[in-house]
Amino acid sequence: MVMSRAHHISQQFDKELEDIRSRVLAMGGLVEEHLAQVLESLSRPNLELAEYVAANDFKVNNMEVEIDAECTAILLRRQPAAGDLRLVLAISKVITDLERIGDETKKVARVVTNMINTGSPRSYYVGVLSMGHHVRRMLRAALDAFARMDSRAALAVAHEDPEVDKEMEAVMRQLITYMMEDPRCIRGVLDAILAVRAFERIGDHADNICENAIFMVEGKDVRHVALEQIEQELNRRHDDAQSH
Amino acid sequence: MRPNNRLNTEPDTAMSDTPLSLAQVVAETHPARAAEDAKNPRECLKIDNLSLFYGEKQALFNVSMSIPEKRVTAFIGPSGCGKSTLLRCCNRLNELIDGVRIEGAINLLGENIYAPGMDIANLRRRVGMVFQKPNPFPKSIYENVAYGLRIQGISNRRVLDRAVESALRGAALWDEVRDRVHESALGLSGGQQQRLVIARAIAIEPEVLLLDEPASALDPISTLKIEELIYELKANYTIVIVTHNMQQAARVSDYTAFMYMGNLVEVGETKTLFTTPRQKQTEDYITGRYG
Amino acid sequence: MSAMRNHFQQWMNSGSPWVWFTAGAVSLSLVMVFGLLGLIAGNGLGHFWPSRLALVELEGEPPVLMLGELADHETVAASRVRDGGGTVPEGATVVKRLLLKRGNRDLNEQDFVWINAPSIKRLEYPTDVVAIERREWGNLYGRIKGLTENDQPVPATELPARLDRALALREDIDHLEKEEIGAVNYQIERLRLREKAARKRGIAEAELEALVAEKAALEASYQALATKLQTLNAEIGRDKMLFETITGEQRPVALSKVVRVYAPNQLSTGEKAAHYLRKLREFIAEQPREANTEGGVYPAIFGTVLLVVIMSVFVTPLGVIAAVYLREYAKPGPVTSAIRIAVNNLAGVPSVVYGVFGFGFFVYLVGGSLDQAFFADALPSPTVGTPGLLWSALTLTLLTVPVVIVATEEGLTRIPRAIREGSLALGATKAETLWRTVLPMATPAMMTGLILAVARAAGEVAPLMMVGVVKLAPALPLDGNFPYLHLERKFMHLGFHIYDVGFQSPNVEAARPLVYSTALLLVFIIMSLNLAAIRLRNRLREKYNAAE
Repeated sequence: MVMSRAHHISQQFDKELEDIRSRVLAMGGLVEEHLAQVLESLSRPNLELAEYVAANDFKVNNMEVEIDAECTAILLRRQPAAGDLRLVLAISKVITDLERIGDETKKVARVVTNMINTGSPRSYYVGVLSMGHHVRRMLRAALDAFARMDSRAALAVAHEDPEVDKEMEAVMRQLITYMMEDPRCIRGVLDAILAVRAFERIGDHADNICENAIFMVEGKDVRHVALEQIEQELNRRHDDAQSH
Repeated sequence: MRPNNRLNTEPDTAMSDTPLSLAQVVAETHPARAAEDAKNPRECLKIDNLSLFYGEKQALFNVSMSIPEKRVTAFIGPSGCGKSTLLRCCNRLNELIDGVRIEGAINLLGENIYAPGMDIANLRRRVGMVFQKPNPFPKSIYENVAYGLRIQGISNRRVLDRAVESALRGAALWDEVRDRVHESALGLSGGQQQRLVIARAIAIEPEVLLLDEPASALDPISTLKIEELIYELKANYTIVIVTHNMQQAARVSDYTAFMYMGNLVEVGETKTLFTTPRQKQTEDYITGRYG
Repeated sequence: MSAMRNHFQQWMNSGSPWVWFTAGAVSLSLVMVFGLLGLIAGNGLGHFWPSRLALVELEGEPPVLMLGELADHETVAASRVRDGGGTVPEGATVVKRLLLKRGNRDLNEQDFVWINAPSIKRLEYPTDVVAIERREWGNLYGRIKGLTENDQPVPATELPARLDRALALREDIDHLEKEEIGAVNYQIERLRLREKAARKRGIAEAELEALVAEKAALEASYQALATKLQTLNAEIGRDKMLFETITGEQRPVALSKVVRVYAPNQLSTGEKAAHYLRKLREFIAEQPREANTEGGVYPAIFGTVLLVVIMSVFVTPLGVIAAVYLREYAKPGPVTSAIRIAVNNLAGVPSVVYGVFGFGFFVYLVGGSLDQAFFADALPSPTVGTPGLLWSALTLTLLTVPVVIVATEEGLTRIPRAIREGSLALGATKAETLWRTVLPMATPAMMTGLILAVARAAGEVAPLMMVGVVKLAPALPLDGNFPYLHLERKFMHLGFHIYDVGFQSPNVEAARPLVYSTALLLVFIIMSLNLAAIRLRNRLREKYNAAE
């Protein structure tokens, strides 16, 4: 597709774009790292690690603010057009998603802290953990697709979101079973449900990141569009591009 | 890159899975106007396979596109790409230059303006033009605006008075000059002069208004006034504007055509062309990667 | 030594030598211009100031008395005077000589005489002597002994009143002769030509009778006027004065021949100034007398200005139209370039060549053919086939048209293309664009061309001598007789007047100051014409300031 990689006449503009792009990737890296750490602290209960993640979410927030300011500056100074405009717009949306993912991660970290402090049984969290790993893979793939500007990879990630939703349903059913069996464990299970919800949201945000990546690369707004239709469209364009 | 013919002739199909017709686009964006347009012919100028040679040197290569009525169409492109040349073909002003040869046709509401026997003076009354630098004649404001009418032999004072006032109002200049219409036009500021020139052009009620970089010699405020004026004028006139300022093209135009080295590379709805151009050359140019 | 060289080097490098050099050139030019003007003005303007009358008594037996104006003095080698037969004191190597204008040209054999200063016994300025300006024969210097009316003595104190009466009568006579009788003569001449033409065609009796009747009426009015003139002439000859030269010779002088009587040795400075202004007015506004050496130069001023005006009327449209064609319509190419070069070179042809061309082409060929075609009745006396104002103006037009073409072309080139395109884009044709926009904007350039043309034309004399200028024209080219402007007439011109008075005059000494005065007047007139044109151009420039 027409995502030009040639240099701008203004090298400064190149630098600025490259700068926010790498900052977004750094922010994505940080968010992903936090997510990984939370999962770690959940799988092998580690209070310190969980508390560390909860306490460091501010870094993600700060990055969002910085990148946002940078996007504003670029819009103001450069009036970017076409691919550049889409890049900046996509970034400004992606960082919102990343920040939300950070928030959700922090929520999970709190749940983990709670779990360790109250000594809830880890059995509640088996399904939760596997779901968490799934969304983490999704997030990584989404960031990867964004970094490589690969709309097909992004579409592949978007395909996974329904999977996550299905998985969530299964985990919820399991947790509800726990609560029905033993009302005393409701408090602990509710925490687990909170974590499930959080992972589900993270999956949605990862999906958004993919959509933004597709918008950035293809210039096509694929929000609220059926996946199959997007796929058809991408194939058609790909063929078009080949024929040129 | 070779221009895609299908694209060039249909400005409205730039970027969608099912090619939208112009009518559909209009129907989506301006329902009221769509109703009006349904009655009117939608295509004002149709440039058909136009080539232009300065002596041996070819300046335009088989350009084909259509310019819709009562819309603003912008030509953008690097210097020397032929956009001004193309604009000047629309009122046959290129013929003043020695050794110019033109092939192809331009249809104005279905009539080929390059047909033999075409009355050029009459054509230029129908296709007005405003130039890069304000070029008021060294006469009074009134006489500048009345110039075209006097050429047509109108000398009735009352008719002229009315036409001058309405043209000046149309060019958003009346309130600034109403007390001094009989003073020299050279005393006006650059922006006022340019609006005066626009008033002079619309005084003869053309069908098409060609603007050749109308704001490039003006300060930002005057530029905005001209842009505002263009926005108002498109209710009554088909406007074709050549501009170096891409943001300006993005602001004022409904359709944009990108030209490069005498070729029409891409033409489409402005908002599409500026967010998702089809051609790499267009993308490179509008994002500042050209060269 | 080397310090000095360093200093010099520094001065050279500072750039001031160049400033000095250029400023020096300007100063030199200014000195030359103002020196020229000063010389002309000094010599010319002094001429009208009344000089005192000197009474000179020379040694000899009996002593020689002379009365006159001291016009000049010089110091010459004594040997030169001796060779000339003069007496010089022994041992003197140089002698001072005085030039005395004695006047009384009809009495003395020499108007001007050189007097050796050593031989002067007495030099004084008696108060009772008068200068009498006459219509003929120059001034009289001497005393007035009496006044007579029809040979009967009357008191001499009535002289001013009687002189005024004579002058008034003279004016009446002039008017009668020039205007009324001139008009009748003009009509008679036209009638004669009409009759001649009619006879040639063969005419009806009735028509012939009408012509004869008309002629009779004109003859009658001519007779009436002639009678009136006779009466006036008789009346003006009534008074005479008795004039006595310094040597006591007496003779009567009719007041009708007198222009002015004054006693220069009695005049106060104020009276001299008034006299000066009167003379100046006379110089500018009156007819010349005495082979142009006395009186005014009005016809020459009139002729010069009229010639330049008529030439401007011809040269402006011609030059502008030619320039418009060359710049706007002619296809650029070798032919156009050749024409342009030819036009430019035309400006370099010596003006006398134009005179020859004008004489051969305009006067003989064009004028002769026109005579054949339209004025055959008057032949063999030519009507337009003779040098005249029209041919002079056309010759000068030819001389100056390149200047106008070049200047106008320059102006047309400078009109921005945007202006033309702006006009064309409004649906104007090329001709409309030219007429309504381009040409008005080029008017300052046309005026520049015209200014240069006028400057050149007003100073030309050589070609005019062949195509229409005369030393004395009987009538002005503009008068009250239809068609008022008589382009076929010969005319007078200041430039030629200078040449004529300075070199062709019988009395060179007397004419010299007049040459300067006339030259000054010519410079002044050309300057005025130019200034008027320049002011007009500046006004136009202001109006079209976008163009330049």
